[in-house]
Amino acid sequence: MALLELNSLSRNFGGVLAVDHVSFDLHAGETVSVIGPNGAGKTTLFNLITGLDQPSSGTILLDGKALTGLRVDQFVERGIARTFQHGRVFGNMSVLENVLIGAHSRRQAAQRGLPFIELVRELLLALWPSPSVAAEEAQLRQQALEILSLFGERLLPRLQQPAYSLSYANRRRLEMARALASQPRILLLDEPTAGMNPTETAEVLAFIRTLKTRNLTILLIEHKLSLVMELSDRVIVMDNGQKIAEGKPHDVRNDPRVIEAYLGHPAPHPSPSPFSAETHFHTEGTTTS
Amino acid sequence: MEDFLRTFFDQTVNGLVIGNIYALTAVGLAIIFGVGNLINFAHGSVYMVGAYVGWVCVTRLGLPLPAAFGVVVVVCGLLGMLIERLGLRSLQNSARIAPLLATIGISFVLDQLIQLTFTRAPQSFPSPLPNTRFPIGGVSIGVIDLLIAATGIGSAAVLYLFLRYTKLGWALRATAQDRDAAQQMGVNVNAVNQTAFAVASILGGIAGMLVGIYFSTVYPTMSFQAGLKGFAANLLGGLGNVPGAVLGGLLLGLIESYGVSLFGATYRNLFAYAILILVLLLRPQGLFSRQRQAPPEPLTGTFVPNSKPIHVPPWAIAVAAGAALLLPLFVANPYVLQVLTNAWLFSMIALSITLATGTAGQTSLGHAGFIAIGAYASALLTQRLGLPFTVALPAAAILTALLGTLLVLPAFRLRAHYVAIATLGIGEIVNQMILNWDWLTNGVMGISNLPPPSFFGREAVRIQDVYWYALALLGIAALIQWRLVRSPLGRTWRALRDDDIAAQSYGINLNRYKTLVFASSTLIAGMTGAFTGHMYSYINHESFTNTISILGLTMVILGGMGNLIGAVVGAVALISLPEFFRVLVDYRYLVYGLTLLLLIRFRPQGLLGTV
Amino acid sequence: MNTTTPVPIPTAQPPLLQLQKLDTCYGAVQVHFDLNLQVHPGEIVCLLGGNASGKSTTMKVILGLLKPRQGTVTLDGVNVTGWPTPRIIRQGIASVPESRRIFAQMTVQENLLMGAYQRSGWATFWPPATDAVRTDYEQILALFPRLRERLHARGGTLSGGEQQMLAFGRALMSRPRLIVMDEPTMGLSPLFVDRVLETIQTINQQGITVLMVEQNANLALQIADRGYVLQNGRIVLEGNAADLLHSPEIQDAYLGQATS
Ligand SMILES: Nc1ncnc2c1ncn2[C@@H]1O[C@H](COP(=O)(O)OP(=O)(O)OP(=O)(O)O)[C@@H](O)[C@H]1O
Ligand SMILES: Nc1ncnc2c1ncn2[C@@H]1O[C@H](COP(=O)(O)OP(=O)(O)OP(=O)(O)O)[C@@H](O)[C@H]1O
Ligand SMILES: [Mg+2]
Ligand SMILES: [Mg+2]
Repeated sequence: MALLELNSLSRNFGGVLAVDHVSFDLHAGETVSVIGPNGAGKTTLFNLITGLDQPSSGTILLDGKALTGLRVDQFVERGIARTFQHGRVFGNMSVLENVLIGAHSRRQAAQRGLPFIELVRELLLALWPSPSVAAEEAQLRQQALEILSLFGERLLPRLQQPAYSLSYANRRRLEMARALASQPRILLLDEPTAGMNPTETAEVLAFIRTLKTRNLTILLIEHKLSLVMELSDRVIVMDNGQKIAEGKPHDVRNDPRVIEAYLGHPAPHPSPSPFSAETHFHTEGTTTS
Repeated sequence: MEDFLRTFFDQTVNGLVIGNIYALTAVGLAIIFGVGNLINFAHGSVYMVGAYVGWVCVTRLGLPLPAAFGVVVVVCGLLGMLIERLGLRSLQNSARIAPLLATIGISFVLDQLIQLTFTRAPQSFPSPLPNTRFPIGGVSIGVIDLLIAATGIGSAAVLYLFLRYTKLGWALRATAQDRDAAQQMGVNVNAVNQTAFAVASILGGIAGMLVGIYFSTVYPTMSFQAGLKGFAANLLGGLGNVPGAVLGGLLLGLIESYGVSLFGATYRNLFAYAILILVLLLRPQGLFSRQRQAPPEPLTGTFVPNSKPIHVPPWAIAVAAGAALLLPLFVANPYVLQVLTNAWLFSMIALSITLATGTAGQTSLGHAGFIAIGAYASALLTQRLGLPFTVALPAAAILTALLGTLLVLPAFRLRAHYVAIATLGIGEIVNQMILNWDWLTNGVMGISNLPPPSFFGREAVRIQDVYWYALALLGIAALIQWRLVRSPLGRTWRALRDDDIAAQSYGINLNRYKTLVFASSTLIAGMTGAFTGHMYSYINHESFTNTISILGLTMVILGGMGNLIGAVVGAVALISLPEFFRVLVDYRYLVYGLTLLLLIRFRPQGLLGTV
Repeated sequence: MNTTTPVPIPTAQPPLLQLQKLDTCYGAVQVHFDLNLQVHPGEIVCLLGGNASGKSTTMKVILGLLKPRQGTVTLDGVNVTGWPTPRIIRQGIASVPESRRIFAQMTVQENLLMGAYQRSGWATFWPPATDAVRTDYEQILALFPRLRERLHARGGTLSGGEQQMLAFGRALMSRPRLIVMDEPTMGLSPLFVDRVLETIQTINQQGITVLMVEQNANLALQIADRGYVLQNGRIVLEGNAADLLHSPEIQDAYLGQATS
């Protein structure tokens, strides 16, 4: 049985069909990439899978059970974690704390129980942590450090710095670390290498490989094709909200429809650029003294 | 049936007339929300200043009305520019809450200055307008009604077009959305903000003057209710939405008018705020705003980081606590002890507010309501059920936590400024309930002869005992809160504050953690209220007004948001400071205001820094 | 400093933008150490460097969003250090900021016209005041057909790549003399990465000077005239783009062609 199953999933934003009857399966241990031109609906698809947005129609099944009607936070409890395309770190919290928040749903104190009692319990555990809660916290810290060390010396020296002071790419790394801290079954990465140069991209590639060896199921959005080709077991191509192709990386890469929609060929490119010679761009002369 | 229709019609006209006034204040507030992303607490004061300037021009100087208008426009315009200068420009790179505090400081100063110049007494403002009235059905509308309507709707229309179609209007909107990006387009954001404040203040001033004429009277306290109603109207229409503000104002007027005719005049405010909360429940983005969008990513806009808090070493805290504990042994002056007892109680209030506002980012302007609940609960438990204080105090605290959280529940769907204004409304609702539920609360009469605080049979007869009891309670509250904010629970709250979307996506159940933070916060507020009531042995609906909420928040910001020691320092400073200026007792709020402004100017992150 | 080739200083022309001996700090943390950089009129200069090396900080200093602790920023020989941002922008500078900074509540059309803010009169923005603005507007929409499709959508609802296109287009709308870009191709699909770089080349041929931070170092160096390499806040390498492209250090450290 597929781990995750999307059935004819759609999302309509007042007339714009951002996701249009998309179906596919994700099997345990697979790495699947979603590629497609800008505005194809990839991020919207991620929002649907992680519960941040509700589909207009269609269903998502995890282990054969529908995820409809769950709150966002319940998706994480079921093992789905993600990163955001532009980075949503907790700016005023330290790097370490950010990762610890990732582990939130695993904490004993945060578990659900009888209504009301669960709240009192969490308050009391915060005031007087039981030995097991204290041990758990220490263990989570240890794990957070281990996860951060996957990025070498990028984040470790900045452990106590507030996240807002990180550079753009380091925030993306922190996001990945935070997502991993929830020990997800499915990890959704939305352009993890944005803002990284080829060498740094290769680092992330190695990082994702490590995750693959741990048998994590990964759904990846990327525009860097070399990365996609190397990592993916399967590639799904989206355009205009629809799934236009699916298959092995190399088959997809040579699919004419994919080349047309995504990789580009000379045809949709009439002149080198609309900034042609007649309409000279810089004629008004904004000279200032 | 005919009768009913007539009354209905009359109430409608009445409501529209009052609603117009609300609309006029709301439009000014909407501009500042829209541009500075700021709740301008000084707006009510500008409105009052406008009323007084108009009154001076017409009655003292004998100017004709158009000339008086002109003077109001100039004075209030300048005042607006000054507010931008003091309240916004110098604080652009400090904590987001600092400008809000600055406007509170400015409003203290303005209110007190007007009081000092013209006394607290209401002044009669004979209408300089012709007395012609136009009958409509059973009621009639006068020239002033038409003038107010024309000004309200006219200015909203002009503003709307201005924002849509002029360069400056575009610049205003762009600045509101992302100040840094606007600057990178070449927008001179300071000039833009200054214009916005001038325009908003002119509108506020004119509103004040027209209302003065309408009610034939001006008085210094007219500012607070005006500001409150303006906020409410704004929220109804959708924050920062100019046409929405007008519609919100009219709607609020209508609702009140119908409410009064159905339930009687004392229900006017209760009804208005209840509707406000109802609207928030059903349409959190306001009635006239488009569907809310997912909020932008927090680090992409202009991000203002928290400051680094000052670390106070434990020994210093121990020494200060020891000194406070031993003080009554050396100082017998009951006055000093009373002032300090007040300071301890306000410290608890500040702690309670800083937990919700600073740690979890849920700005509360309604804590006075929770304190009142605690006070009444304990009063009723001791008087009606004869419970001893030792039992009544914790019971009242728990009751407050339950009731308080239930009351805030509708606001859980809201974010940022909306929470602040909703809690302001909740505070008012509690106040109105106390006033109106005679059977429970004894209405305006209040509850008297409360037994003094006593623990395990040891009554606090001397002021020293009261002092120690208050200090002990503060110690307990601070200890509990310290444990909470340092725990993983505190971490979760801070995640909620920084980015609620990301927090949810990492498994944080927002409602659960908002419940927890409001329960903890109102627990402390309730405890404080219970103790205060018994300390004074008498409470009524005026014992815990909204000024307490605002003063408490001021202390919190002064000490540094989310900073526990800061909250205590802020409370002690603000309570004892005016006492040093005892001779200046009339200038108390002036001193508050000026101190605040100076402190914010030079230490906008609060004395001890934000945590 | 390690210079691969003597940098040919275009004759007689003073640099359009010059950073001299910059030391920049965030609080106690120093990010730039004695940073020197020049951009001559008509050039495309590319600023390379690993993550957290201080590239975006350089952009912030140029735009006046951050004041350097020491050193000067000179535009056309005028010392503009410490000037407010709008004043610097009015000298004919446009920027494509890091993480795009689109006006989320304004429509795509409004965002583009905000780019032309300095070129419009006080009155209406739409229809644009001058034909020139309109022409540019049409050209940008022709360049990014996706933006035309979403013309009346609010900026905040656009996808990441669409926002990046919008930020790029918005900067072009001001007809600057100098355009500074912080990763203009971030989040764009391969097709549009090429298109944006091509456009940069075109507008440069039309006389616009370009300073850009770009992680697609390979492609960027192909269109650039010169490049600088920033490492931990220091310029460690500068030279002709073609030389940099083939220098082994660059190949290793930034182009991912390490022999591993
Ligand atoms: N809240 C929304 N309201 C209206 N339209 C939206 C909304 N969210 C997304 N869209 C539209 O849906 C389309 C798909 O957006 P999405 O972010 O999923 O694209 P994407 O495939 O992730 O693109 P990119 O590669 O550029 O990140 C876009 O055209 C976008 O404008
Ligand atoms: N607001 C800030 N406060 C403190 N330190 C900061 C701040 N912004 C950036 N830094 C630090 O300054 C250094 C340079 O950051 P900068 O954003 O300039 O890097 P960058 O070269 O643009 O990196 P990237 O490729 O990831 O965008 C980093 O070490 C970062 O942690
Ligand atoms: Mg996307
Ligand atoms: Mg950067």
